[in-house]
Amino acid sequence: MNRLPLFVAVPLFLAFLIPVLGRKWKTLPDILGNLATFFLLLLSLSILGISGVYAVGGWPPPLGIVMVSDGLTTLMLLIVALISFAVTLYSIDYMELYTSKTRYYSLFLLMIAGMNGVIITGDLFNLFVFLEIASIASYALVAFGCQHEELEASFKYLVLGTLASTFILLGIAFMYGTYGTLNLAHLARLISENGSTAATKCALGLFFVGFSLKAALVPFHAWLPDAHPSAPAPISAMLSGLLIKSIGIYALIRLLFNVFGFTPLISHILITLGILSMVVGVFLAIGQWDYKRLLAYHSISQIGYVTLAIGLGTPLGILAGLFHLVNHSVFKSLLFLNAGSVEYNLGTRDMKKMGGLQEKMPVTNATSLVGAFSISGLPPFNGFWSKLLIILACVQAKNIPAAVWAVLVSIITLSSFTKVQRYVYYGKLKEEWKDVKEAPQTMRIAMVMLAVCCVLMGLLILPGPRNAVLTPAVNALLAGREGYFNLTFSR
Amino acid sequence: MINPLFYPILVPFIFGLMILWLPARWKETTALVASGLNLVICLALFTWLPLSFGCGSWSNQNLLTLDSLSGFILIFQAIFGVLAVVYSPACLAGKKGHTKEYYTYLLWTLAATAGAIFAAHLLLLLVFWNILGILLYLLVNLSPEEAAAASAKKTLIIIGGTDSLFILGLAVIFSLTGTLALGGGHIPLGTGLAYLAFFSLVSAALAKAGAFPFHTWLPEIAGPTAAPVLAFLPASLDKLVGIYFLFRICRDIFVPDFLGQTVLLAIGAATIIFAVMMALVQHNFKKLLAYHAVSQVGYMVLGIGIGTPLGFAGGLFHMLNNAIYKQGLFLVGGNVEKEAGSAEIDDLGGLGRRMRWSFFAFLILSLAISGIPPLNGFYSKWLVYLGLLEMGRSGHSLWVVWIAAAMFGSALTLASFMKLTHAIFLGIPNKALDRKKVREAPPSMVIPAVFLALLCVLFGVLAQQLPLRFFILPAVGSIQPAGLWLPGRAAFLIVVTLVLGVLIFGLGRLKKVRLTPTYIGGEEPDLADHRPTGSAFYETVREMGFISTIYRLAEEKLFDLYELGKEFTLTISAGLRKMHSGILPNYLSWVLVGLVILLWVLAV
Repeated sequence: MNRLPLFVAVPLFLAFLIPVLGRKWKTLPDILGNLATFFLLLLSLSILGISGVYAVGGWPPPLGIVMVSDGLTTLMLLIVALISFAVTLYSIDYMELYTSKTRYYSLFLLMIAGMNGVIITGDLFNLFVFLEIASIASYALVAFGCQHEELEASFKYLVLGTLASTFILLGIAFMYGTYGTLNLAHLARLISENGSTAATKCALGLFFVGFSLKAALVPFHAWLPDAHPSAPAPISAMLSGLLIKSIGIYALIRLLFNVFGFTPLISHILITLGILSMVVGVFLAIGQWDYKRLLAYHSISQIGYVTLAIGLGTPLGILAGLFHLVNHSVFKSLLFLNAGSVEYNLGTRDMKKMGGLQEKMPVTNATSLVGAFSISGLPPFNGFWSKLLIILACVQAKNIPAAVWAVLVSIITLSSFTKVQRYVYYGKLKEEWKDVKEAPQTMRIAMVMLAVCCVLMGLLILPGPRNAVLTPAVNALLAGREGYFNLTFSR
Repeated sequence: MINPLFYPILVPFIFGLMILWLPARWKETTALVASGLNLVICLALFTWLPLSFGCGSWSNQNLLTLDSLSGFILIFQAIFGVLAVVYSPACLAGKKGHTKEYYTYLLWTLAATAGAIFAAHLLLLLVFWNILGILLYLLVNLSPEEAAAASAKKTLIIIGGTDSLFILGLAVIFSLTGTLALGGGHIPLGTGLAYLAFFSLVSAALAKAGAFPFHTWLPEIAGPTAAPVLAFLPASLDKLVGIYFLFRICRDIFVPDFLGQTVLLAIGAATIIFAVMMALVQHNFKKLLAYHAVSQVGYMVLGIGIGTPLGFAGGLFHMLNNAIYKQGLFLVGGNVEKEAGSAEIDDLGGLGRRMRWSFFAFLILSLAISGIPPLNGFYSKWLVYLGLLEMGRSGHSLWVVWIAAAMFGSALTLASFMKLTHAIFLGIPNKALDRKKVREAPPSMVIPAVFLALLCVLFGVLAQQLPLRFFILPAVGSIQPAGLWLPGRAAFLIVVTLVLGVLIFGLGRLKKVRLTPTYIGGEEPDLADHRPTGSAFYETVREMGFISTIYRLAEEKLFDLYELGKEFTLTISAGLRKMHSGILPNYLSWVLVGLVILLWVLAV
């Protein structure tokens, strides 16, 4: 698994190289940024489903830091690479609206390095460091426009995000104080030997709150609806599509399943948080008239679906949750890119001012339809299959109320996306928009690429692709503490 | 070798894609070729019944099947597809929504319909079912009218929302029986879970067919949507598919008990009455027809709700008949709207002389929908009545209510169509309408309507010999109607009577008739100013004490589940948004409360 460190090293290196070289060659940041994400995409495809361990500096665990790759890791790496490639492509034209592309790509790649680091690391403190890299880059990116609104949103995000980091750090301190190790697999072994002590419970609570804050689960969601819409559209896509999942949901489920051990109590907590997020998020979303804010609230709601499904703890539930997680990454990024291309051309996010854009922006309209149908769970798009699996999993786990909630939320989701379509793309074209043009080439390509993914990813439900992509990830979680320990200490 | 069952799905689908790719001027021709080819394929398949297909891990279980039930629906959807493609070019020429996408969506609708009725697996059915809803949404959105976007939104929310319920029902069925094969297990109603699944699926079927309380999208889209779309989807294919599925639910998936049956019958009766009452007072004839399209579903639901072969036969036959005449009525409506330039009843009048063929078709179709013997609408209603009577004999006490609702509804339908026929084709025209300019619609628009009208006569007079024998009875099994009705003989007698009537009338005219002018207040009135207008026809009904209250509430949309749900959702949304004031300390306090609760839960 010698390729594993590249996921962090390449973006980290380029993040510092771009500002140095970018001053001379104006097109270089675009080229390097896109090459980097494209390279990561190829790299993540090459290790898909392969398990392995890389000991940093040759120090074996638990002494040294390890990077661990299993089915879940490679799945997350793939989805991060896929979305960030589409987003960098989109950024080439979109970021012309802002002044400093070098800084943008630098921060962007730092964020990717942080996310990839969180995903591959097998060490608790290392995880914290990468989490902070990703978070701090994202605070800066939210404030990238430097307007009043962006700065305020970024400040709120910063305060709540730092609070989350503090909780997590405190949790780490509890763990280190109790067990004297930071290696995740080693911790897993020690926790299973010692049983659940007060310190473990305390740490668990702190991790729960910290990562729920990062994942924006209700009631820890309040920063998200300000931060995600204020960022530049490609960054909104990254934040909603990836960041809340990789440093929020991924880290949380990794700890719960592979370190602390999954118990019925944890299942109840996850289900409760999931349903709460699902319901509150969607009700908040449907009343919005700000295009991106509406999408942001839906992220809360959709993350609720993921949490609920994984929280069921059954193989089908985990499969459904992870499937929905990757699907949501794709369609939510797509929807944010659509919103971005509307904002790019119109200069506003207020849906009341729009209307009839389908004639002027056919590609944006068509891809937005695909995204809207996906998130509302209509076939043949990917969201349908994961929603179907989630509801099946809820019913199979004898949790009928959860299934009913999932259905109700999906109806309201559909309603709010038909609202988007109706007010933005259909209806009469307003006089002031009669000269509006379609988004530039690279933005269109990025949107079409994600829309095609929305269709193709529906195929993951078929046994062949499912076993190649999703099942290893499910097995990684189901393997629990024992499996994770054996993998890390396999050498 | 591709299984022949794939042809009716793949052929329209691929041609639909081709239309998107080919130059715009070829769209009509390509669509015509595709729908014609599709019809030929469907007819061929019908003769090869039964067919099935299974593959992969499901090879021991069918994924697609074609039995006698899906067979006859397949033929008719193919016929309706040809009619829509023939009718559309002239109707939509020069309009903004007349794009390549229009024909693509029409063809894809055919493909999805074929898929839905072939599906022998609930999941497949769900997928095609959902795609039909999406296509309707896209078709309505093609209309350039202002109101189209809003009504399309409502349509997709109602249809797509009930599709989510479909998923829930499907999940419950899977947990109960462990299979999703259609007809894989007959689930007895009685437990909470079984009811949940049953009513979830039923609501999806009712929403698609447009029955109470999920019908409100249908009148809404009727205004802005083009006539061929209305005729093709809500009036015919959605009915075929929706009622087909309701039939499958009641016969092949569940075993309805008294409660389930009663709920269905009540829904059927309520649909008939409420919708026809709303139809009576409409001013726009497309909306009026849409309310009738809802009302007619009531009969089908009644028939299926009865749950005996006789009832099933009545329900399915009515489904077929309704698809024929309701489609025809919408097409004639389209002719009138195109030629006279308005769909408002009050703007029209006296068009019968100018549009003879349309008038002729409309008259027959409206008699058929009102259930006048010997036309097809009569025969299927007759079967439903017989089914209700039979049910009453076997001990159900409420049958009187259902049959009274059905007959009352039938009378009101006749009343409503008398008004409509008079207001459009007879009477004195509106002054603003230049009748000289109105001409008969082009043949490509008239022929489909006349064809459907003749089909109504044929299926009425030869009901037993043609539709029942070839289409309905193979699907439901044999029936023994208790009452004696021989359509052929009756038709002969009716024709004789009519001829006699004409003779007597003609003989009476031989004597000189004295015509005298009318006076109002001693002056000769301007008849065009004082003409009886269609919209005022049933004003008296609307103003009746108790009924007027109901009408008022209905116009405030208090009976509309969609509006109620919207109100409820937005109220909750507003409340939650108030809590999100943007004040950071509040948000921090939520986090702390969350932390305390979590720690407490974990510690206990």
